[in-house]
Amino acid sequence: MIEHFARALTQWPLFLNGFFNTVWLCASTAIVSLILAMLLAVPLMSRLLTIRAASRFVVDSIRSVPFLLLAYMAYYCLPAIGISLSSWAAALITLVIYNTAYFAEILRGAWSHLPPQQEEGGRAFGFTGIRLFVHIIGPQLFIAAGPVLGNQMIQVIKDSAFLMVITIPELTFRANQVQSILFVPFETFIIAGCLYWILCNSVEWMVHRLERVAEMRRVR
Amino acid sequence: MPDDNNTGTPVLQVRSLVKSFGKLRVLDDVSITVDAGETVCIVGPSGSGKSTLLRCINLLEWPDSGEIYLRGERFGFRENDRSREVRMNDREMAHIRTRVGMVFQQFNLWPHLTAFGNITVSPIHVLKRPREEVEAEAEALLAKVGLQDKRDEYPIRLSGGQQQRVAIARALAMHPDVLLFDEPTSSLDPELVGEVLAVMKGLADEGRTMAVVTHEMVFAREAADYVVFMDGGRIVEAGTPEEFFSNPKTSRAQQFLERYR
Amino acid sequence: MVDWGMIANLAGGALTTLWISGVGIAVGVPLGLMLAMTRVSRVPVLSQAVAVFVSVMRATPVITLALFVYFGMSAMGLTLSPIVAALITLSVNTSAFHAEIWRASIMDFPQNQSEAATAFGMSRFQAFRLIVLPQAWRASLPPMVNEMTFLIKSSPAIAVIGVVDLTRTASRIAAYTYDPLPPYISAAIIYAVVVFSLVRIQRLIERMIVHRYGVL
Repeated sequence: MIEHFARALTQWPLFLNGFFNTVWLCASTAIVSLILAMLLAVPLMSRLLTIRAASRFVVDSIRSVPFLLLAYMAYYCLPAIGISLSSWAAALITLVIYNTAYFAEILRGAWSHLPPQQEEGGRAFGFTGIRLFVHIIGPQLFIAAGPVLGNQMIQVIKDSAFLMVITIPELTFRANQVQSILFVPFETFIIAGCLYWILCNSVEWMVHRLERVAEMRRVR
Repeated sequence: MPDDNNTGTPVLQVRSLVKSFGKLRVLDDVSITVDAGETVCIVGPSGSGKSTLLRCINLLEWPDSGEIYLRGERFGFRENDRSREVRMNDREMAHIRTRVGMVFQQFNLWPHLTAFGNITVSPIHVLKRPREEVEAEAEALLAKVGLQDKRDEYPIRLSGGQQQRVAIARALAMHPDVLLFDEPTSSLDPELVGEVLAVMKGLADEGRTMAVVTHEMVFAREAADYVVFMDGGRIVEAGTPEEFFSNPKTSRAQQFLERYR
Repeated sequence: MVDWGMIANLAGGALTTLWISGVGIAVGVPLGLMLAMTRVSRVPVLSQAVAVFVSVMRATPVITLALFVYFGMSAMGLTLSPIVAALITLSVNTSAFHAEIWRASIMDFPQNQSEAATAFGMSRFQAFRLIVLPQAWRASLPPMVNEMTFLIKSSPAIAVIGVVDLTRTASRIAAYTYDPLPPYISAAIIYAVVVFSLVRIQRLIERMIVHRYGVL
């Protein structure tokens, strides 16, 4: 078995390439999705029933469809209605849309648990609209929802593996590539598994650090 | 009903119990004896070690030193084949624990079982008594504590006083040699205290062997056969209710009773 | 207007998804309980092994695991059909999440109830069977149903190793009709209906439990 591992590891450039593709796909998704999610959280918390219900419906629908199916839809259906995309574009669009819905729901949950005094205090000092959100509410949401957001980040990493089916050369794709060349599937996927484990636990570690910082700053 | 054949042996005998939590000595050489049919009330200020004493008797806490005898049998320790003292294992302890009934301050009913279920689960599964017998007795016990119509209710739907009465019925169903009460009314709203004390007084009048830690001085005065006053981990004074309440001998007892005048 | 042939095909795929997911759940939940009990028992080697297993499973994408089971196992001499590989993948993966769910409700079990159980002479096993477990599974229902929806949403991974589930059926139809919109959108609707229903059921169960027992 050892020499199988050695054989698999000769393809380390492929593994590394896959690893980095996964990392930058997930990192970009995280940044873009979080920003969009903040925007989407507003209608979710709207006092107007129609806006709230409509955004609720959109978010719930996206969250009840499997990610892989959504990826297929972006890759195959969009060209059919005239939008032709590269596989990378399709991948990013799917990741962003899917996770915006999840992040928005998480932020909404945190927002609904936020004591109303926070918003009142902000308004008392003249903050309204976007400014109110950016300076007062937003930071508190992120602190409160930190662990859950971190959890979703890990989900992003795991969902990114599905993108191998639309030929995105992320980690699982590369691992599959290696095993089909070298015929050591057991060892190849164990290596991939280790890399995913490292990646996911790094995210969890970072979330822990942020939580600590948040703890120190939290008003008792 | 406790059927005590050796009228000579006390039901419960506690000798020289010592227990510390870290640096704090909570029980400092405490000895107490409860004879058959006696009701002993243990009173004292908060932090005097009363609850710890009770929890040590049932070995929910292990004393650092001292001995506990239940009808002459050592509880918690036995002699191994080399005549050395070893702690009893969980199974041996479980067996003895069934003979000590416990009523907790927080009732501690099991929320996923009805009142009836709470009473019957232990006699059936731990004592292995036949189901029909246990169920018939459970009905009788519920009637005894005045809750026969609450038989199929879950604890969430019962008031504090009702829950505590179910807890008493639950303890009685095990046919214990002695009943321990750990501040049974301290968690109750004032209006509900009376119904629980009434049940307890009934048990005392029946001749049950009971040890009650309580703040309810009126109850202690009426129901106790003798009263033990603890302070700072020691038994400071003990005597009949008449002696203790009318004529406290020590200054600490006098100070304590001032509050209740 | 409605292509009933396509709907029938998709229904077949949906049934495959449902039965394979169902088995995955049926195996994963009790397996998770056993893992959680091992973990909580603090038996020396085993409980650490479980901790490592759970940690690894929770960090591994389902599709990667499916490929590992399907291709990796055959390299080890064990030839598995795609369906068996799919069943193993989903069961094993979900069991790790259920292990954590069980562990959470067993570990933060109110001490005062366990004390009462001890005071009434119950052995540790009796207390677990009669007092802890009945409440733990009721308290775990919401996160368990949540995990079930996750399982169904990650089940398309099995399409990649050749199982003709709902997603693969949709792909096939799209491939030979050159018209991807109807099958994919229909498949999305079917998945959405299943997930929505599960979420509804979860909320109903939650409400019923709180109504009957209070917050466990």
